[in-house]
Amino acid sequence: MSHAHSGAELKLGKHNIELGGPAASLQMAMSVLFAVGIGGAVAMLSTGNVESEFFWKSYLQNVIFVIAISLGGLFFVFVQHLTRAGWSVAVRRPAEILAANLRWIWVLFLPIAYLYFAKGQGAQIWPWADMATMRSHAPAEADLVQKKLGFFSQFGLFNGDFFWIRTVAYFVIWGALAHFFYSGSLKLGASGDANITRRMQLVAAPAAILFALSATFAAFDWMMSISPAWFSTMFGVYFFCGCCTVGFAALILTCVMIQSTGAMKGVITEEHYQDLGKLLFAFGMVFWAYIGFSQYMLIWYANLPEETGWFIARQIGDWVWVSVFLLAGHFIIPFLAFISKWPKRMPMVLAAGAAWMLFVGWIDLYWLIHPEVPVGLGAVKRYAELETAFPEHTKTHLLQPTNWLLLAGMVGLYGMMTIRELRRAPLVCVKDPRVGESLGFENM
Amino acid sequence: MSTVAHTTTSATPTGSKSKVLYGYIAEFETPGAVMAAAERVKAEGYERWDVCTPFPVHGMDKAMGVKRTILPVVIFGGGMTGTIAATLLQIFTNSTGLHIPIPIPITGYPFLISGKPLMSIPAFIPVMFELTVLFAALTAVFGMFIMNGLPRLSHPLFGSDRFRRVTNDRFFVVIEARDARFLPGKTEAFLKSLNPLSVEAVEE
Repeated sequence: MSHAHSGAELKLGKHNIELGGPAASLQMAMSVLFAVGIGGAVAMLSTGNVESEFFWKSYLQNVIFVIAISLGGLFFVFVQHLTRAGWSVAVRRPAEILAANLRWIWVLFLPIAYLYFAKGQGAQIWPWADMATMRSHAPAEADLVQKKLGFFSQFGLFNGDFFWIRTVAYFVIWGALAHFFYSGSLKLGASGDANITRRMQLVAAPAAILFALSATFAAFDWMMSISPAWFSTMFGVYFFCGCCTVGFAALILTCVMIQSTGAMKGVITEEHYQDLGKLLFAFGMVFWAYIGFSQYMLIWYANLPEETGWFIARQIGDWVWVSVFLLAGHFIIPFLAFISKWPKRMPMVLAAGAAWMLFVGWIDLYWLIHPEVPVGLGAVKRYAELETAFPEHTKTHLLQPTNWLLLAGMVGLYGMMTIRELRRAPLVCVKDPRVGESLGFENM
Repeated sequence: MSTVAHTTTSATPTGSKSKVLYGYIAEFETPGAVMAAAERVKAEGYERWDVCTPFPVHGMDKAMGVKRTILPVVIFGGGMTGTIAATLLQIFTNSTGLHIPIPIPITGYPFLISGKPLMSIPAFIPVMFELTVLFAALTAVFGMFIMNGLPRLSHPLFGSDRFRRVTNDRFFVVIEARDARFLPGKTEAFLKSLNPLSVEAVEE
């Protein structure tokens, strides 16, 4: 705390911690991207150029993509308070703002609620939403799901309703936590009252528990239940890992974007970038591979029919190449590229890596959400016969434009809202007790 | 700065027969002072010298012009050796019936487990991972030992009473006598010009 440089006042001067003019045009570009993306995707749907089931799964994928970015930001923020970190004060505000998006992001779930309640077509995403159809289509799986659902109905909770109650709970928890840490940090920036820091440190521990539980169950509810007969206890951790990947990557990109407008000069240094790079490397590349492989190997080794189907759906036909792409693109290539110190210390190189990790994180969600487990796998005796038995499961539809339009729309909306908030708040918590430590931070 | 006058003393361990000069140590009171001194020593062109401090001083590497260690490259090699060793070991033991008669006769033992192929990479990965980490970690520890000339039981600097405070509240610049630019009188005068608390000759 005593490392404050003599230039601290200069670095934290008003003009240096404000997002200026160039960001306004970027915000405008983002809103155009949002309008074009969503407009294009809806046009594709209404003109029948995309199957409605694909559209809604893509929509869910892209909504979860931006939620995951915010969750990554929230995780970053409370871990800094939990560990009483000094180094990160300079980059904490952008993370707080990424997390603060959780306060409005529930709006993106309204179209899905509309699909589920008003149109009664939740089964376009989650087969359990229409048990009668599921029973006629896949009776064995339907029996299994019925038994699972029976557990909840004994408490008088209709299954689908309970799903939505949980979903509301996730958004309340995340929104409240994000708001708590963001508003606390704003107050701290204005007053420098160390009691606010202490309170945030105190809340960080229960926040970590709430976050772990809510993110795990959200992953189970929203993504694992797309294949309702399948289960993996590791799935929640896998999703958490995905949140860290895209969250830290977005944080790096936000910092580079802010500095490219000329703000935060001398505040965020290569030392901070190196540490952000380390976090991205640790969670986005190493931990992802570790969790992904652990999940795969247990299922591969046990070889239980109800578990392997989920991976078979991701190994049929073209899906093999998506899986291989993820292995290489999410782990091997970035691992080798960023294992050294120097690429993490060059903001533009790190930003390129972060953009790449955002992209593969998005592909990872595509890989989680889109494939459908073929019904009647038991009838196929040889692995090689799978493709001829289930020809419709071999195609990935990855290049279907709707998916990319929705990506553009969500990134546009998310970028627009993030930059809007970045322009309103100071970019650094200037009176944080540890701000001097952060400005003088060195990695050795 | 303290008012202690510049003194040059000779710390000769009693009973020691050798009188070979190891080098000079200059004592400083603050990290800032030793940092400034280190920059001067580097500018003077000395190569066999060091800075000893009670705790890591940020920016010292840059001030001293310390070159990056090649240890990470060596560790990477060690890690890859582990990966390859684990792969070959498992392929030999699980997937081949190969018989190697020397030096001790050993034979691979292919055994079908739950219908998996004899060469099942997923099953090999945990061992590959573990051996990679093990080899890399051992290379890191022992590579560091070798590069630092460890283990050694003693060091000439331990003969200096003044130097003991390096673990407490004093900062030292050490210039070794084997440096090509080292000249006893000149180096001593140079060190005194750095405004130290004291300069001392240390013998082997």
